[in-house]
Amino acid sequence: MRRLSGTVLALVLFVLGASALPPGAARQLPAAEKFVLKNGLTVYHLKNSDLPIVSIRMVIRGAGSAFEPAASEGAAGLAASLMMKGTSKMDADAIAEALDFMGASFGIAASEEYAQVYGDSLAEHFPRLVEIAAGCLTDPAFSADEFEKERSLSIDGLKSAKDNPGSAVRYYFQKAYFGGHPMGYLASGTETSLKTMTVQAVKEFYKKHFRPDRTIAAVVGDIDKAKLVPLLEGTIGRMANPAGTAPPDTVPALPRPKGRKLLLVDKPDATQAYFMLGAPGYAMGDKVTAAASAMNTLFGGRFTSWLNTELRIKRGLTYGAGSNARTWAAGGLFTVSSYTKNDKIGEMLDIVFDLLGKAAKEGFSAEEIESGRNYILGQFPPTLEMNSSKAGAYVRLAFYKLGFDQYDKYLDEVGRITPASVKAAAAALLPQADFVLVVVGKAADIRPLLAKYGTWQEKKITDPGF
Amino acid sequence: MRKRAWLPILFLAVFTLSLSAAFKKEDVKVHKLDNGLKVLLVEDHNIPSVALYTFFRVGSRNERPGLTGVSHFIEHMMFNGTPKVGPGEFDRRMEFQGGRNNAFTSDDMTGYTDWFPPAALEAMIEMEADRIQGLSLVPEVFESERGVVASERRLGVENDNDAILNENVRATAIMAHPYHWDVIGWMSDILSWRRDEVMAYYRTYYAPGNAILIVVGDIDPAKTLGLIQKYYGPVKASPPPPPVSTVEPPQMGTKTVIIRKEAQAPSYLAVWHAPSAKDADYLPLAILAKPLLEGESSRLYRRLVREEELAIDVGGGIQETVDPFLFSINVKPRPGADLDKIDRVIEEELAKVKAEGITPQEYAKAMNIIRNDFYMSLQTISGKAGQLGSAELLYGDFARLFTVMDDYAAVKINRIKGAAGTYFTDNNKTVGKLIPEGGAK
Repeated sequence: MRRLSGTVLALVLFVLGASALPPGAARQLPAAEKFVLKNGLTVYHLKNSDLPIVSIRMVIRGAGSAFEPAASEGAAGLAASLMMKGTSKMDADAIAEALDFMGASFGIAASEEYAQVYGDSLAEHFPRLVEIAAGCLTDPAFSADEFEKERSLSIDGLKSAKDNPGSAVRYYFQKAYFGGHPMGYLASGTETSLKTMTVQAVKEFYKKHFRPDRTIAAVVGDIDKAKLVPLLEGTIGRMANPAGTAPPDTVPALPRPKGRKLLLVDKPDATQAYFMLGAPGYAMGDKVTAAASAMNTLFGGRFTSWLNTELRIKRGLTYGAGSNARTWAAGGLFTVSSYTKNDKIGEMLDIVFDLLGKAAKEGFSAEEIESGRNYILGQFPPTLEMNSSKAGAYVRLAFYKLGFDQYDKYLDEVGRITPASVKAAAAALLPQADFVLVVVGKAADIRPLLAKYGTWQEKKITDPGF
Repeated sequence: MRKRAWLPILFLAVFTLSLSAAFKKEDVKVHKLDNGLKVLLVEDHNIPSVALYTFFRVGSRNERPGLTGVSHFIEHMMFNGTPKVGPGEFDRRMEFQGGRNNAFTSDDMTGYTDWFPPAALEAMIEMEADRIQGLSLVPEVFESERGVVASERRLGVENDNDAILNENVRATAIMAHPYHWDVIGWMSDILSWRRDEVMAYYRTYYAPGNAILIVVGDIDPAKTLGLIQKYYGPVKASPPPPPVSTVEPPQMGTKTVIIRKEAQAPSYLAVWHAPSAKDADYLPLAILAKPLLEGESSRLYRRLVREEELAIDVGGGIQETVDPFLFSINVKPRPGADLDKIDRVIEEELAKVKAEGITPQEYAKAMNIIRNDFYMSLQTISGKAGQLGSAELLYGDFARLFTVMDDYAAVKINRIKGAAGTYFTDNNKTVGKLIPEGGAK
């Protein structure tokens, strides 16, 4: 493979422009029909009979890892995975057998702001898939036995992740950047938090946070509305709102690092050093979105980006280098990451800092702006090609209270970017003095190369947690 | 084998029971230029985009010691300049016109995958035709790209314990055939390829008769064919590349690989020699892989992860390959797990399959999984292009895509037991264990 797979495309789905409008005829995203189930659950439906398959996507607002009690880090992730491990009618093996038998894919997972449900199946199996999904969502057993299995699997999974420095650096970065802020809670939990976790804490999280009035679903594929409505009423329509006041569903303002926070993680057998550097980004729907998206494309979001050109194409220091913008309702995060041989990490970081400074000071040429614009516009259509990508777009746009013409507005805005607007985005967003930088590598070799950047906190990869 | 970045397993492993009315053999327009280039065109206006895929019949199976990994290196160098399009220009021009690309190399083939808006069609065809007619291999760029590939190897193999084990087990199981080495190649070869031998290799395999060009998407087929004739027509035909003649000799006893290194968790991988994609035993083993290994209801996931709690995850199966390769079972053991016990559980489950085969329920499940995966892959223009290309490369005919359903349906359930008995023998097996030293318990 020539390059790492397209974070750019994933990103495009998240980078949305401003303000909400009522859903209407949209150019990029076909108009979906909206209806609300009797329990308050909102559904969007689009029929597509090209292939005999159907996809469903759901988001449950406030059921993500950022809403866990601080003492129960990992509760959201465990709730999501345990919901699939048995109901009062089907045990875990029966659920797995039923899903595998259909060849369907189905999952419940915790993001930061919400829990999400995904399912894809042949049209003939879709009713059965939704029935099983509804069982998991409304009637999970949370048996002590399954809880113990899942918890111990998660602990071992986290240890195993540390054998791969490329994934380990992300965990360390999330912890170093967000500290005790809820956005720093790992959906997987940590070795330490999982040790004290109880099945009671998981159950309580589920009871408080999985609510139909905070759930949005979208169904796209080979199914008629006349069939879909009764199917959903009889399945996910059974989700009930818990009594009592609803828990919070907004995340506090994100932390902003002051000065340099440097963390070195020693992995003595690593032959490459992996870094991740990050600083505040922008919130979903922020008016800077189009310019920031172009800036990211040019700086580190595509193959000929500045980062990849300088680090890979010109110098052969690495297989891949890039930047990424994550956006949430409460704010965003802009990161830069790459890896190289241990003895080259100093050279690599020097180049990264030079490029960050140059982009913020000088911006990009008119030709680069045109190229970035063409690239974003040209690569957009495939991001909505599949049933599942359309369903995902409906639930995300609805979650962030944006209209279904949001992509049209975003792309129009991209059409209007200028060297000045992109330079302004670079100056506002690219980390200069205030950032968090994490490096995972062989400390004995790289420590001397890193000393010039400041004082590093050090951890051993074998220390529990991140 | 465990998925590696440079193996295109994602769309090679997927096949079908029935094809949709929405995609038929008649939708594929087939042409062959005088110089031997085969062209497949599919008009699909679902989105305003085009997928242009070029597959070459060259992969690591065509390499030799000293030149291992060179197929993959040429894949990289294809973006690094021709006499007409300078180093880096391919990507710059393509991205300027709103296009994006990727490429992959496997044991059997090299593929170039372009996605772009319809307006860029002519420019893309011109640049694709140009880069099969001669690469510059500028020395400084050659050296820089060598560094990139070395980094890719450090990323994909040296800093990934499962991949280290995988490479060792493959090289132990396969003694003579070029599948002995991984697609990325040995580090010492990566560091010593010479420009002249790379150029000779490129000239041998990058010829119109050794390639297939597939265009799917928002195109006018007649106009597209005209552009292909204009730019590819003048490309000279070349003699066919030499065949791969080495045949792996029969294995004569179980082989074992033990690796001791710093790690938090152990790794486990067992492989058995397996038939090529075209062999009659391929489909029975492909069906068996589903109830044995795929999903949480599979026999080995249940035993190893759920019941005995020895593992975090289980995977593997059989790959579609030109020459006989391997059926693999890879296990991510839990830290501290007894690897010999994992091995015993696997042997117990294989013994059951050999004695009793699989159940009708498991057979139906396998067919549902295969059908579901297939339709999902046909949702996109890239999925269609990839499926057509791999069918053409592996089976010699893209139309295989539209009949493979009958082949699957014709596999009687008792054939699975028979195939398991033939291949899952002690003499056919290589088992690998990576045992952690140091690190936390």
